[in-house]
Parts: sequence; structure tokens; C-alpha cells
Amino acid sequence: MKRGQRLAMLLMLDKEMWRRGSWCGETHLQKGTFFLQELLGSDSEYEFILYKYGPFSFGLRDDLAEMQADGLLDLVARHPGYGPSYVVAADADEFLNRFPKTVERFAHAIQFVAEQFGDKGVSDLERLATALFIRRRSKETDVEDRASQLVSLKPHISESDALAATKDIDRLASVVERSDLTIKQ
Amino acid sequence: MSKYIHEIRDPIHVFIRLDSFERKVLDSRPFQRLRDITQLALTYLLYPGATHKRFEHSLGVMELASRVFDTVTADVAPDTRPLIPEIDNPDEVRYWRRVLRMAALCHDVGHLPFSHAAEDELLPAGWNHERLTRMLIESDLMLPIWKSMRPPLDPEHIVKLALGARKAKNLRFTKWERILSEIIVGDAFGVDRIDYLLRDSHHTGVGYGKFDHYRLVDEIRILPSEQGSTEPALGIKEGGIYSAEALTLARYFMFSQVYYHPIRLIYDRHLMDFLKSWLAEGTLLGSGTFPIDVDGHLRITDNEVKAALRVAADDKHKAGHDSAKRILEHKHFRVLYERNPQDVKVHSDPGEAIARAAAAEFGDAAVRSSKPRLKNVAADFPVRTRDDRVEPAISMSGVLSTLKPTSIDYVFVDPDIEGRATRWLQENRRNILETAASEEEGS
Repeated sequence: MKRGQRLAMLLMLDKEMWRRGSWCGETHLQKGTFFLQELLGSDSEYEFILYKYGPFSFGLRDDLAEMQADGLLDLVARHPGYGPSYVVAADADEFLNRFPKTVERFAHAIQFVAEQFGDKGVSDLERLATALFIRRRSKETDVEDRASQLVSLKPHISESDALAATKDIDRLASVVERSDLTIKQ
Repeated sequence: MSKYIHEIRDPIHVFIRLDSFERKVLDSRPFQRLRDITQLALTYLLYPGATHKRFEHSLGVMELASRVFDTVTADVAPDTRPLIPEIDNPDEVRYWRRVLRMAALCHDVGHLPFSHAAEDELLPAGWNHERLTRMLIESDLMLPIWKSMRPPLDPEHIVKLALGARKAKNLRFTKWERILSEIIVGDAFGVDRIDYLLRDSHHTGVGYGKFDHYRLVDEIRILPSEQGSTEPALGIKEGGIYSAEALTLARYFMFSQVYYHPIRLIYDRHLMDFLKSWLAEGTLLGSGTFPIDVDGHLRITDNEVKAALRVAADDKHKAGHDSAKRILEHKHFRVLYERNPQDVKVHSDPGEAIARAAAAEFGDAAVRSSKPRLKNVAADFPVRTRDDRVEPAISMSGVLSTLKPTSIDYVFVDPDIEGRATRWLQENRRNILETAASEEEGS
């Protein structure tokens, strides 16, 4: 995936997440991109490690900073007590219009991610994204064993919440597998 | 009577004190090598005072790291304490303070000569200076020091704090370890950055890098990332917001005036060209890259490279002759193009498009480009307000909410074709970018 296409994908994700009620802080974009890549097969090739609120990519953080520098995204203060939000900048549509194929290729997958996760708070996203991280990297198939792994990685998550998040991710993965949502390479 | 505490004079921190174990690290070969690794590479060709070394910087980082550690562990608010249970165990706190100071001392031992950042080109695949740092911390030269301490220090703990989560990818960090690593390498208040800004400003004579770091260090706290968050982060009390702004501005100016000065960047590029030719020739090292074994790494410093530069500049048959001559005779390439946001609207990577077109027009040897990794403004940290709320810095500070990161990207050309290339670019710039843009979607 070329750099311009990657940035176009991020702009689309930010726009769609806003539309679905997300306030698009860095955590929301990190997790949204993670779901796109690891659940829907985006070829963005970010390297995710377990860091702040679960899966996190420093490469993605760099891209978000570059997009700010290039006037594609603005970082704005939001409600008192909460972190800042990334908002698509006024000039970004001009950039996005140059990537019609990328827009078409990602449209359904981004819509799915925004529908499923746009209204989720940071704690929900942490649980779900970490559950997906475990599903993708663990050889363990048993849902309860994966939920235990989630609790051991994130001790502040209760066993029942971990189990629910693991089952949710399995359900979403099966929805993606049964549909044509997987992003074409 | 032998001393247990040793003092070293320092132009930034006045006195830096070490205990006898830290003194052993100071006297070790990996650390002594830093006496011969310049902090700012060839920047002394622009700013003659910039000849300081990683040695004194590493001492400064150790000094600042423990100042920050002492501040943040002495004042932890009730809403933060449950996020880092280690804070309630005095033995743990003492242990990690020692780990932190050792990590700070060792955080740069893996640097290549001239602190060169082009590690993809100069080291075998998969290697960088952080991996070399880890190798040295875990080497037989250092392990006896860690083992001789009471309690002994776990070298993996030192590696984690010295490298941070971004570079120590295969190591899993607890929240406590993450916070401690942020004290050294963090984006917002990492003391690596605080020390290099102050020190580089002092030695270059560029006053922009100075700020009230005493006040800043005094106001840093561990806070929830956001109100009610389970993630701790390094933040600041409201009273320190002005010094945090000053740090951010210092960083902004130092990057624009010194670190990403175009002439410094092109000297770095010429040096990389020389090093690649010199390493490929293999007369000294034989491998085509810098060595990745302990002995090999410790043998090579700026001194060996400088000697090779002189030899190559004087002998047109030597590998890297042209680059060496450009460096030593100050005949560097000139700026042809500088990235700007208007061009980004046409092509997402305009510098790359123009460099490619210029190389096709004038030949690969006449064109160089430099696009250093963008440095974030790092304004995303929590602030403890006077009425005890936690607010994001960006909503507390007009300065921090206004500053944006800056993308740097230059294309340079041989001075012999500068005029011709400038005219060519004036005539073809729009066309080059639009043609390249039409290929961006690709297949």
C-alpha cells in the first residue's frame, strides 16, 4: 500500500468514525485502524504492539503527526477531562479526491468498523482490540482460555467482561468471514 | 579512604554525582567509547561549538532521570496510586531508581560513529543502535556489574527503560515500566530530550533551546492519561504549564534551526555516502556494514571515521573520495527543493517525486534527498489543574494547541548544476507533481 493510499484510508476512517458518534481521539483511530488491518485485512502493514489501551502502532502515530503537518488533520481540544480529537481538515477533501480507487476499495470495510466501534469508549475499545490481538497471535482456540489471557494482560478487566469481549470478537470475525467485507488486495 | 560518591563537573547540571557501581559503568569500555562519539555529528561544520559528545549527554540524562523519578514518586495522588501499585513498596521504588539511573547512563551506548541515524543503510537488516545498546547492556562487559549490585539488577529491566516500548518491541512492559521508560525516552517529558536540548543549545550557541527545566522537573507528575483513565502517563501540574510550553517551543526552534538545518542534513547525507563506500571497500571492517559484535562495535568511533575521511579526501582512487572531499572542503550540495503543504495537496510525497525526476534529468550522482523522521509536537499529555481535575494539555494551553508538527523534506543538487536545476524545477515543478500524482493510486 502506497503512502498516499494509506493516508486516504485514515482520512476516510476518521470521517466515518465521526459520523458514527466517535470523538476520534488517538486511541479511537489506533483501534479503528487495528480492526481494519487485523479483522478486515487492510494491507496498511502497521506494526501493533500492546501499549496504551491495548494494540498500538508507533508508525500510525507518526502518520497522524505527518497528516497534521501536511494540513490533512487537525488536533482539537474536546470536552473537559478528555483527550483531544483528530478532525479532518478543510483541505483534506482535495487530497482524498485523488484516491477514488482507494475510497471504493475501503468504503464497506470502514463503514463496518465505524458501525461496530464508532460509539465505543476507550475502555470498550481496549477490551475488544486486545481480544482481537490475542485471537490473531495466540494458538489458543478455546474462548475461555483466550479470555483468561486477556485478563492476565489487562488485570483491570473483569473475567466476565473479558469473556464477553472475546466472544464479541469471534462473532465479528465470523460476520466478516461470511460476508464480502474483507478488503481486496 | 575510598569514595562512595563521585562528583563530575558539568556545564548544564553543575555537579553530577555517581555511586561506585555507576562509576564502574562509567569506566566500562562501552561507556568510555562515548567520549569519541559526537552528539551532533557534523553539525560542528555549521556551529563550531557543537563538538560535545554522547559521554556527557548520557551523564546528564542520568542526573535528570533521577531528579524526575524523585519528584514523581514523592507526590502521587490518590487517583493515580492504584494504577501503579509498585509505588507503595519502598524496596521496589529503591530498586527501580537504580535501574532507571543505569538505563539512563547506558541508553546511547549502541550509537554508531557520528551518532549516524541512517542505520538501515549502515547496519545489517534488522539492526539499529537500540539493538546494539541492548547487546552491550546484556554483554559480558556489563553483566558482572549488574550482578554485583545488591539486589542485583535484571539486565532486561535496564534494557526496557533505556529503549522504551517503541524500540524494545519484543519485551512486554508493565504500566510502571512504561512510565519509567517515558522518564528517559518519552515524547513529552523524556529527559533524553530535555538534556539534549539544553546541552545542544549551550554548545551550538543557539539560545532557543534553553528553558526553565528546574521548574519543569519540579512540576512533572504521574497522572491518569485522562480523567478516570486506567492508563498512567507522565503529565504536569498546572503551575508547570508555562515551562512545558517553553520546552515545546525550544524543541520546535532547535529542530528548525539546528537539527533539521538543510546544510546539516546534506552533510549527514554526504557522510552516509562516504560511510557506505568506505564500509563496502572493507579494508577496515570487511563486512560492508558496521560491525554488530561487541568488540567490533567498540573498536569503531568518530576517530577511525575521521582518519578514513582524510585519507579518502586526499586520494581520488579511494572509495568515498568525492563525499569525503565535499565534507572536508565544505563543497556540499545545495537545496533545490523544500517540501510545503501546497505541494502535498498535489502529491502525498512531493520531495520523493521531485528527487526522482531530478535524478532522471541530471543523473543519480548529482541529486540527493533528505527526509528525516518527523518529530511530533508531543502536546498530548495530562495536566493536573489547581482544582484537582485532569485535563489534556492542549485544552489548557494556547501555545500547545496552536503548534503543529513540521514535515521536513529537502532535495539537494550538486553545486555545479545548481542554476540549471533551479530553472528546470521552476519550469517543470507542477508537471512533475501532477504526473507523479496520477501514478499514486497505482494498480
